[in-house]
Amino acid sequence: MGGSSPCASCKLLRRRCAKDCIFAPYFPSDDPHKFAIVHKVFGASNVSKMLQELPVHQRADAVSSLVYEANARVRDPVYGCVGAISFLQNQVSQLEMQLAVAQAEILCIQMQQEPNLPTHQIDQVDKSFLLSTNNFDNNNIPQYLSFASSSNVIQDPLKRESLWT
Amino acid sequence: MSHSTRCAACKSLRRRCPKDCVLAPYFPPTNPQRYACVHKIFGASNTTKMLEQLPLHLRAVAADCMSFEASSRVEDPVYGSVGIISQLQEQIIEAQSELVKTKGEIAFHNAQQQLLQQQQMQQLQMINAVDQQGEDQPSWLSSSQQDPFTNVNQQLLEDYNYSNTFCGFEF
Repeated sequence: MGGSSPCASCKLLRRRCAKDCIFAPYFPSDDPHKFAIVHKVFGASNVSKMLQELPVHQRADAVSSLVYEANARVRDPVYGCVGAISFLQNQVSQLEMQLAVAQAEILCIQMQQEPNLPTHQIDQVDKSFLLSTNNFDNNNIPQYLSFASSSNVIQDPLKRESLWT
Repeated sequence: MSHSTRCAACKSLRRRCPKDCVLAPYFPPTNPQRYACVHKIFGASNTTKMLEQLPLHLRAVAADCMSFEASSRVEDPVYGSVGIISQLQEQIIEAQSELVKTKGEIAFHNAQQQLLQQQQMQQLQMINAVDQQGEDQPSWLSSSQQDPFTNVNQQLLEDYNYSNTFCGFEF
């Protein structure tokens, strides 16, 4: 009963750590910073509610992602995780553009190697090229950043420090 | 003094909306859902604190980002916006792999082209070398089909034929 030490959350909140404490499995007492940062950004009450709404087998992942988001928001109080999302989206766009160019080059090479291709087959090649370039149309990439407000949110993400460096 | 209409935050919190309400500029009453998500995930007190800590010109951006993160978390209670980050990282890995493969194919084609050109050059050089050797022989030996008298003066040829028949017999 009184043998085990309280979890990090109950220590911080200065309360008795119950046997069925919802935080205890995920916020051990040897890592107080983990709960402190989550509490600072989300609040203990909100975290408790969020965990209660999840099945037990998903709570560990939820805590990990909450800790990640909280850390991102403390490091970058303006953009938080969204800065990273913007940075990665830019990378994806650039890579897909490079890929489209490379695939167009392959197509040109293939067409040069078959100069006697009948007209109807050339039309088929054009269609497949159009289809393949359509795959890299930006309209097909999920646009995660579409804010309701008119403010220009992502001002210059590439200049800011990446969370992944 | 209060706003004529309360902001979404003050409406949700059922309180008067003061003129200097921190949240009012970023959570208009026309979009109650926006504040509802932020309130659920971050809480009213934390939201206000986080915005108050920022300079005025950055608060709109911060409010938008918090709103985005909150709605992501409402949609995906386990991973939230971290799930989006994972998906993007996977997309990057796939695109990089595809790009490397495609560039490899281009390099292969280019190498083949170069090899073909080199072979053609070599063949051309060989033909030229054979042609050079051919120029040292008498021109009438260079082709069995060539008329041996093409280089002969036509007048001399006529004289030859005339002299062959003058004496009444052919040589």
